[in-house]
Amino acid sequence: MNSAISVRHLTKDFRIGIRGLKLRAVDDLSLEIPRGQVYGLLGPNGCGKSTTLKVVLGLVSATAGEISILGEPSATSAARRRTGFLPEAPYFHKFLTGRELVRYCAQLSGVAASDLDAAVEDALGLAAMKEAAGRPIGTYSKGMLQRIGFAQAVVHDPELIILDEPTAGVDPVGSASIGRMIHAMRDKGKTVVLCSHLLGQVEQVCDRVAIMDRGKLVLEGAVEDVLSRRDRHVMTIEAMTPAARSAAEAALEAHGAKITSVTHPRRSLEDLFRELVTGSRDA
Amino acid sequence: MKDSLRRTLWISRVTFLEAVRQRFFAFLLVLSAAMVLSSVSLRVFDFGHGELKFIADFGFGGMFFFGSVLAVVMTAQLFFSEIDNKTALTLLAKPLSRPEFLLGKFFGAWAVLGVFVLVLASLQGVVLWAREQELIAAAEQAGRIPTTFSIVGLCQLVLLQWLRLGVVIAIVLAISALARTFLFTVVVGSLAVVAGQLQWIAQDAFLRPTDSPAYAAFLWISTRLIPNLQQFNLADALVLGSSAVEEGALIAVCLSGLAYLAAYLTLGSLIFRQREI
Amino acid sequence: MRRFAPWLLVGVLILIAGALAESSWRRVRPSIPEIGRKELEPTLGQGVLLGVLGGLRTVVADFAWIRSYVFWERRDRPGCEAFMRTACTLDPHARYFWENAGLRIGLDMAHWEIRRRGGYAKVPTETQERLFRQYGRRGVDVLEEGMAHARHRTALLLAAGFLAEGKLKDFTLAANYYRQAADAADAPWYAARFCADFDWNAGRKLEAYRWYRDYWLTRMRPRMDGSPDDLARLREMEKELKISLLERIPRQSWER
Repeated sequence: MNSAISVRHLTKDFRIGIRGLKLRAVDDLSLEIPRGQVYGLLGPNGCGKSTTLKVVLGLVSATAGEISILGEPSATSAARRRTGFLPEAPYFHKFLTGRELVRYCAQLSGVAASDLDAAVEDALGLAAMKEAAGRPIGTYSKGMLQRIGFAQAVVHDPELIILDEPTAGVDPVGSASIGRMIHAMRDKGKTVVLCSHLLGQVEQVCDRVAIMDRGKLVLEGAVEDVLSRRDRHVMTIEAMTPAARSAAEAALEAHGAKITSVTHPRRSLEDLFRELVTGSRDA
Repeated sequence: MKDSLRRTLWISRVTFLEAVRQRFFAFLLVLSAAMVLSSVSLRVFDFGHGELKFIADFGFGGMFFFGSVLAVVMTAQLFFSEIDNKTALTLLAKPLSRPEFLLGKFFGAWAVLGVFVLVLASLQGVVLWAREQELIAAAEQAGRIPTTFSIVGLCQLVLLQWLRLGVVIAIVLAISALARTFLFTVVVGSLAVVAGQLQWIAQDAFLRPTDSPAYAAFLWISTRLIPNLQQFNLADALVLGSSAVEEGALIAVCLSGLAYLAAYLTLGSLIFRQREI
Repeated sequence: MRRFAPWLLVGVLILIAGALAESSWRRVRPSIPEIGRKELEPTLGQGVLLGVLGGLRTVVADFAWIRSYVFWERRDRPGCEAFMRTACTLDPHARYFWENAGLRIGLDMAHWEIRRRGGYAKVPTETQERLFRQYGRRGVDVLEEGMAHARHRTALLLAAGFLAEGKLKDFTLAANYYRQAADAADAPWYAARFCADFDWNAGRKLEAYRWYRDYWLTRMRPRMDGSPDDLARLREMEKELKISLLERIPRQSWER
């Protein structure tokens, strides 16, 4: 059993209104999420990805289908003990400090009393929240909220971490910081499921992706496989003159190849932003 | 079992902290305390009830009324703040069962109401004691029998009121588990409290013989579904000794209260298990 | 079946709770006399409901009583009676409400009715007398009801005696109330005298003397002053009844 999450023929209908009209949020979805990878679940708003995650976590019941987490039937306490979850736009009790929240979540997740202090400090360290851990959550910025949310999700050292829109509303520095945390988790051999519609970020951190639309799975595979175009190539050339370009075109044409476009390479705005505000902390 | 208790305790602890930090709690506590204290100066409006009775009624009235408001509104608010702010998503994604979550909410809210009742009753006790001393001195001078109050009765009443509020919390949580909105819960919860306070009408009618089987069935169902909250209002009898309370009656009242509490918490847990968050 | 088991458990728990509540209610019901009274129905307004629901009964009773004054000033009998009833019902232990309700009905309301019908000059004397008796009777009934609930009955007995004598002109009944009042631990000094005089006026002269004499010997003589006025009245009775010297109350050392 290599799958971290196995979803078979999942269907979820919601009843809406007094007349109980049926709204199908997820339609016969089957997925196998392998262990030890960062898996991106993509799709536009309302495509059913958050509902899928909620069904996986037992927060919503499935209309049909079978789901297992790490070999255990989903929605069982045993399955959730090995799972960490960061919901979309997390909101925590404002009066608790960051450390109190992480401790509270560790207690609820069954961390032994003897391991509690170390687990809390490790999670805070991983989320780079040690400095602000003594402050009430009500004083946190959006990025800090996401990071403390990440800490509470991993405090019990889960094998599977599910992150729902972890960078929504977070600036690029914070977003990169969350990306680093995800990589750190993968390096530890954890499985991370990332649900997002920020494609650039998913592309950077995910090993595999699945794309959903209107409740159905439309594409699934390794990022490298689904994004590469094997019939196209990109070369980056320095100090190219018009004469050099004509010569290159002629040489390529002689071999039956053809240059279809020539552009200047661009940095992404995100790269530029991160470069300009390097070292700034999201505090 | 031990883990389950620990998780329930943690939820109730945070619920308690959240509740006592709310302005609503502080506001009602201050208002009720002011009512207890003002009873001494407002006793000029008393028409010969006996001053202690007036003071006691004023204070216990505040405890009853504001306690009920607190039990309905605060419980609904504590539940829906978790649902609406999606903190429930974070918590229920952990190895925390829904009955544990609901029980945690219950014990947290009940503890807050315990503090509320205890603070007010202590204040009420001090006010009654101070006035009692003055009345005893005056009665001794006039050669009359002084009116007194019972500390033991006051303690018994505190327990009864706390239990009554516990039943209200359990009902409101069962309604919250089913309801979609805070407002609906508060309205239906308040109606449930009123129904509980007036349940004795059905209870009295049920104890009388009737020819109509349908009416008898209606009374039978309503007297079982709705708890009789009136039976906890024994302030006069317990604290001022206005009438005798049968031996063992208080234990019977407590047992029925605890049974309703267990029934409504179980019902709430069952409904909450079906709820999609 | 397993699916329905938890719901079944809830049903069983509610049944148990209901049965326990039924039993406990039977036992505590007599300790809460304020609730479940028919008299509340005409004024089941918001404030009263609030009072019935829990504490605050005394406070609401007080406000109901204050409100009754508004109707009393307007000489509005139904309004005044309704609010007085509410006050008595919400706080049946309070002697004050019963006593004043009984006296207001017994003393004032017949006059209001006479005024309503055109005044003393217009209403025939017989009708006036009938109205005084009618309202006096109702006042006594209210006082009787109060005696069943209020903790201090003596004042209610005295008020009932006052109405029985003044409005009903029933001296035997008045004597009966004053006798009960005189027997109470907190009896005022005049209750026994009134009792004896009304019995005397009702024609039960010998019975009046015997009772008054016993009362004086057992309860008045031991007092510090020996109640000389009462003894003087007893001497008058002995004289009028021609009681033999041997049967009379022995002469007291302090007697003039």
